[in-house]
Amino acid sequence: MLLPPLVMAAIVYACEITILSIGFTMTYLTAKIPNFAHGTYAGYGIYVNYTISKILGLNPYISFPVAFLVGGSIGVVVYMLVIGVLTKMGSGAIVLTISTIAIDIFLTALLYIYAYWLRDTFKTYTIFFILKEKDFQLGGTPGIFFVALTICIVTVVLLHTFLTKTRLGVSMRAVAEDPELASVLGIDVYRTQLYSWFLTGGLAALAGAMYPMWFQSHPAAGSYIITSIMAGSLLGGMENVYGAIIGGFGVGLSEILLTNRLQATFGIWVGEYRPLIPMFFLIAVLLIQPRGLQGAYEWLTKSKRGIELLSKLGIKVE
Amino acid sequence: MLAVIGSSVAAITGMSRLIVDIAMYFGLFVIVAMALNFQYGNAGIPNFGCAVQVIVGGFTVSGITLRLAYWLVEKAGVKLLPYQTAYDWLYNSQLNVVTVNNYLKTHPLLGVSLLLFSIAVAMVLGAVIGWVISVPAIRLRATYLMITLITMADASQIFGRNIPYICGGTLGIWIPNVFAWYPGDRGVITAVVTLAIGLICFFIFRTMLNSPYGRLMRAIRENEVTCLSVGKNVVGIRRNILMFASAITAIPGVMTAYYYSYVVDAMYQRAYWTYWSWLMLILGGPGNNAGTFLGCALVIAMRRVIIVYKWFFDKILFFPISYFEQILLGVLLIVVMIFRPDGLIPEKLLYIPGVNYTKLVRERVKVDWRTAPKMRLAGKRRRFSLKFWRR
Repeated sequence: MLLPPLVMAAIVYACEITILSIGFTMTYLTAKIPNFAHGTYAGYGIYVNYTISKILGLNPYISFPVAFLVGGSIGVVVYMLVIGVLTKMGSGAIVLTISTIAIDIFLTALLYIYAYWLRDTFKTYTIFFILKEKDFQLGGTPGIFFVALTICIVTVVLLHTFLTKTRLGVSMRAVAEDPELASVLGIDVYRTQLYSWFLTGGLAALAGAMYPMWFQSHPAAGSYIITSIMAGSLLGGMENVYGAIIGGFGVGLSEILLTNRLQATFGIWVGEYRPLIPMFFLIAVLLIQPRGLQGAYEWLTKSKRGIELLSKLGIKVE
Repeated sequence: MLAVIGSSVAAITGMSRLIVDIAMYFGLFVIVAMALNFQYGNAGIPNFGCAVQVIVGGFTVSGITLRLAYWLVEKAGVKLLPYQTAYDWLYNSQLNVVTVNNYLKTHPLLGVSLLLFSIAVAMVLGAVIGWVISVPAIRLRATYLMITLITMADASQIFGRNIPYICGGTLGIWIPNVFAWYPGDRGVITAVVTLAIGLICFFIFRTMLNSPYGRLMRAIRENEVTCLSVGKNVVGIRRNILMFASAITAIPGVMTAYYYSYVVDAMYQRAYWTYWSWLMLILGGPGNNAGTFLGCALVIAMRRVIIVYKWFFDKILFFPISYFEQILLGVLLIVVMIFRPDGLIPEKLLYIPGVNYTKLVRERVKVDWRTAPKMRLAGKRRRFSLKFWRR
């Protein structure tokens, strides 16, 4: 064992929340709405993994690219059928957000029906399961620990390169900034939006495919962690993807480690209140600094009182 | 409906039970949907926290009214089993409630006053919740507010599930029958009372919407900055609206508890109270009460029929029918939003004295004449004047 199992679980969970938070923030940047269905894409990733590893009996790691494609196509279909149409109609942010909630309900129910169909045809447990025994061992440590960390780091690095170096990534950022100005420059806004929805859906399903390797999964698992995803994104500031990396990792780590710490001090009953930790983050961030870490950083470096506070601590800002 | 009330002394079974059930749920959800229409349709506040206020109503009954009922009945000299500790509170609940029901059978005044007390307390607590919600609502963007409210609904459910003193934790708690004095079926009288409350709420909302305050609300919805520049206290008005509507929304929680004589946190899921009420509002058309009524009636009739015939669907389908219901909810919401963005009954322009709509706009404008019905014929009457007859 490399680390205590609890810390490893926290790191795996934090990696998943980070990837999901990145996608959530990207959707918020391009479409200007919080996508409540984002967690449900992860649920589809879970079931792609289940189908490939348990039903077909293959290596679970084969399912990761498949999950990426499946999640991406769900994202594209959602954009083409609902979000794009509603945006073209000129609906407001509230109507669009309600439509994402509707998509969330619809997709979750569809996933449940798929799980029940699997149970009926293959006569196995499909509603609550865990795929830890399918994983390989590396020096006594479950392989998903390394894989999750690698995928998380590689995703962040690739995404950074993609958004800053390639033409499509730059145009994606331009569309997020100002769609009309971007279309004046000759960028196909609709197609860029489609690519970004494909990317976010794919990343979410990829994170979902990692989920059953360590945690107990069920069809609604994806929609349960949406609070953590939103907390991570909001902590990061919802203004750029890099904030979401720090925010998502922080929320994911603290959700497991803080619960454990509180359980050690107050007693085992605190475990029931685990979902309150991301909610606490969410409400605290919204009430104290609605722009999250980004806003806090800018307040520290730009405002008069922030600079005073920094100079008291002995840090100099140019 | 009347036939059902007339035959209330007899046992309610079969089709009559379904009608009572639909009436009850219509009464419950129409209150929530009207309050939502008041907030979103007319004032433009996207309140996604209906479930929080409804759960407060339920917790009021189980946490406060139940204790009060026990205390009053013990004061009157009836012996109850102990209920102070969490264990006794849960495991003696059923027997205690039976004793209390026997006492309430001969004391109708106590039952009615318990009902009124729980509604009053729930409304006060609901207003407090509305005030708590309004603090971030003023500062935050609408989408952020939605996130906060949805998580708040989950949080309140977690508290209810884990603190047995509120509503008995996962086991739930029994509630005395405040209509024990009524000789017939409990469901019928609860449905009638709920519908009556809904009717009162409807008249209150209608009066408020047709008053100058209602017009001010619509003005804020259309353009906030203009209202600010005219000197209206937009923040204060929003807070008042949220508090008032939250107080009304707490009533269905109370009535649900009395309808089932039982409270458990799972009865107050956010998917149930928030999403279905929003579907009703959007299906019917935000901004008018007629649309809310139509949407509510359609959705409730469909849902209750599906639930009642669950045994039939479960035989042919391989999955629980509730998931099909959720698919229906999602698809209906999206289809209505895309193909009928204004709902089944779109909102009409309100008649404002002094504006000549036919001259102002060349195209035909639908005008809501209900505030000033006589003005509808004002232009025509002069043209076909029969004054010379009277002379």
